[in-house]
Amino acid sequence: MVVVPKTRKEMPVTALSVPTIGSAGKTGFWRDFKPVWVELVSPCTYDCPANNSIPKIFEKVRNGKLDEAAKIFLETNPFPSITGRVCPHLCERHCNRGEYDEIISIRSIERFLGDYVLKKKGERGFHEISAETGKKIAIIGSGPAGLSAAYYLRKIGHNVTIFESEKKLGGVLAYGIPPYRLPKQIVEKEVAALAKMGIKIKTGTAIGKGVTFEVIQKEFDVALLAIGAWKERDIGIPGEEFMMSGLEFLKEVNKGLREPPGMAVAVIGGGNVGIDVARTLKRLGAEPTILYRRTEKEMPAIDEEIQKAKEDGIEFRFLTQPVEASKRNGKIVLKCIKMRLGEPDATGRRRPIPIEGSEFTLEFDAVIKAVGERPDTTWIPRKFLNEKGWIKADPATGFVGENVFAAGDLVSGPATVVEAISAGRKTARSINQYLRGEEIKLEAPLEKPVKIEKINIEYYEPKERVKTFELPPEERTKSLDKEETLGVSLEEVESEADRCFSCGYCRSCRICWIFCPDSSIEIKDDSKPEFDYDYCKGCGICSNECPCGVITMQREEE
Amino acid sequence: MQNVIDTANHIVAYAAKAARVQVIAAYPITPQTSIVERIAELVESGELNAEYIRVESEHSAMSACMGAAAGGVRTFTATSSHGLVLMHEALHWASGSRLPIVMPVVNRALGPGWNIWADFTDSMSQRDTGWIQFYCAENQEVFDTIIQVYKLCENERVLLPAMVCLEGFILSHTYMPVEIPDQEKIDDFLPPYKPKWFLDVNKPISHANIVSPEWYMEFRYMIQEAMENAKQLIPEIDKEYGKYFGFEHGGLIDKYKCEDADLILLTMGTIGSEAKIAVDNLRKEGLKVGTARVRVFRPFPREEIRKLAENAQMFAVIDRGISFGMEGFLAEETKASLSNQKDQPLIAGFIAGLGGRDVTFKTIEKIAKKSSEWMRAGKVGKETVWVDLRK
Repeated sequence: MVVVPKTRKEMPVTALSVPTIGSAGKTGFWRDFKPVWVELVSPCTYDCPANNSIPKIFEKVRNGKLDEAAKIFLETNPFPSITGRVCPHLCERHCNRGEYDEIISIRSIERFLGDYVLKKKGERGFHEISAETGKKIAIIGSGPAGLSAAYYLRKIGHNVTIFESEKKLGGVLAYGIPPYRLPKQIVEKEVAALAKMGIKIKTGTAIGKGVTFEVIQKEFDVALLAIGAWKERDIGIPGEEFMMSGLEFLKEVNKGLREPPGMAVAVIGGGNVGIDVARTLKRLGAEPTILYRRTEKEMPAIDEEIQKAKEDGIEFRFLTQPVEASKRNGKIVLKCIKMRLGEPDATGRRRPIPIEGSEFTLEFDAVIKAVGERPDTTWIPRKFLNEKGWIKADPATGFVGENVFAAGDLVSGPATVVEAISAGRKTARSINQYLRGEEIKLEAPLEKPVKIEKINIEYYEPKERVKTFELPPEERTKSLDKEETLGVSLEEVESEADRCFSCGYCRSCRICWIFCPDSSIEIKDDSKPEFDYDYCKGCGICSNECPCGVITMQREEE
Repeated sequence: MQNVIDTANHIVAYAAKAARVQVIAAYPITPQTSIVERIAELVESGELNAEYIRVESEHSAMSACMGAAAGGVRTFTATSSHGLVLMHEALHWASGSRLPIVMPVVNRALGPGWNIWADFTDSMSQRDTGWIQFYCAENQEVFDTIIQVYKLCENERVLLPAMVCLEGFILSHTYMPVEIPDQEKIDDFLPPYKPKWFLDVNKPISHANIVSPEWYMEFRYMIQEAMENAKQLIPEIDKEYGKYFGFEHGGLIDKYKCEDADLILLTMGTIGSEAKIAVDNLRKEGLKVGTARVRVFRPFPREEIRKLAENAQMFAVIDRGISFGMEGFLAEETKASLSNQKDQPLIAGFIAGLGGRDVTFKTIEKIAKKSSEWMRAGKVGKETVWVDLRK
């Protein structure tokens, strides 16, 4: 019975289902706003290049369901054991907990679950593989992008073959990142698990040399290029022939080289390769000096790595630009010029400007340059390249043309491991759409992340962030192969998961259910709360109390 | 027809039975207790076919009655004194919900000092709750009023709850002869309650829900309108009852020898009965005096008071209660009723009989004599006189 009176005469004698505000339930009209359960995007998920569902994973950890937690991880990132070690963890950058006490150590949980997964991988049922599709996919390159794509494509049931020019799979994981950051047995185990999934692996096979790309294109339904960015850029100064390539140096070290090229070694460049090279040199007994033309603030390397390099006792010479290299008495003489910072350039960093007449010379046993990398596309058919020699790929979908896709550093230029993993997954998705004859569509972009105002921090006790144990500099610089950061225990992982605000994701705490003054909330089997709008008065207590911000008050339609 | 000699409390129980109440929810309190005891016995024996809900307080009693009344059945409760004031919050809900609940109130003083005897302060302090209030002078009137009031309250022009007030011990525990009409005739006069709406799980509606400022005032206005309607209906129902059963109680005001009276004693409850004796005695002495017993305090019979004032030179208003900081309740309302009127009579207020102190015809004669002195002098000596107050 809905009475909509206009005049007093039309009114019932007392307040009987009188539509004052809100819509009608069995108990009448009460609400201006109604509570709705809306999962929101957490800052960590939003900031993670792979968009890992971190709050969802942590909820499983809190409930002791490590298998399920790991499986959720694998939905967006097949290699948490690797990212748990080498990722800069952009996810932690805007963690709401940071505004309360300390940000959550997402990396600790990721690494723990990654290692947990690694033990489980290959176990029957852990990676269900869909029925064989009979579609053949060639993946050229086995870095994080290629491996990630291989994993997701194989899960769907495609017939996947990886072509790798080196002896081992892993690309930058195997040959770039030094072992003290990423032990090689971790990479080997991940690769072994992929092989167990039925992925075919052809190592020592460089496409373009023996087999042409055209043949690959013909023999396979899809060819995915994931060759990374392995070509060292030139500085463009005289005497560059006396310098070694940073990437080549790291590759040699990862293949077993344990001798430094000299005692005093200059490393030119402030990126991750430069830092890796310098720290590796230190571990090989050399005394490296990093030369960088801007200041520490502008260095593109992961900040934590810069700090560790400083702790390792590596010398930094900022605002220093080599202008000429020459050889004298078996030493390399670097003529440098002092720089100052000008206006910001296209990257937002302040542009270095040479100071006239400030030239000086430095002498080294060896010089390694690491001023940026780019993909080697010389063997790729011209039709897939633009005039600058870069691959013509849609950066979002990875689609290049014909039956060719591309992913990772080849498309984006040098980036992080997690970005390559994400690109591999997204491109796998595009490939699958292509194979089904569907339109290649992007995943819907994420909504803006939850702000701390949505979180009821009253429900959280102040608690310290879990501490990861790092080897002290004097110890870690003695060994190239000893991993310098140790993992945390299950207890510590649980404690950290407990600290998590679970921004925008239900913690199944039942606080809404406890507080609802009208018993209008029902929670079945630890799932999301259900509202009985016949009884809900729209008081908003549930929304206000919710420690995770998953209950939003939505205005009733007029 | 049945002639009984019994206390007013038992008569209340018989009236409830005669009205065929369907739900009773009550909590015992002196001097109301024997009402609910007798009703419990009637329900237990099967003489009264009703649900008796035992509750843990008067607030719950009224809440249960509201639930029952909203469920569409004839509902009854009774209370007294502290029980009534504990009910206060629920009283507003009952009237605002427009539920025709009938509740005898056995008037008793409020503590401290702890006192179980007659005083109107308990029901008078509920006068703004939207409840109709009747005050009775004798046991027959108690019976008749309860039957009349159900008919009044259930009238769709009224739909308000009502209190039927009777003074503790003076009526509640005093035996008097009462005629109880035949049930068949009562059923004819008072047919079963047929609500226009009630709570039904199969046809869900909300009841007493939130009302925003755009609507609230209209609902309040309709309560006032219902009170005005009740003022019209009360004399009509009283007359109809008289035709059926031979008893009339004066409608809104029970007037006695007021037609030619210079001095009118305004009274309520049993003081009105005593006042009639006083009037007869004083008339013998040549004093042109009458008494008007205000039977209905809410709605207040303003128009009838004005009519009485037309020929009288003076009102002596006797109150068994005081609104602290002002004066007697009836004196207040009488004065308020006469404001803006031409040629107002003199009005003197008398506070008498608080906490069960006897107010006999002798007391009333004394009051009348003092008043007639002032009337002759053309000036009231004192706005409010506390009668027989110790020095």
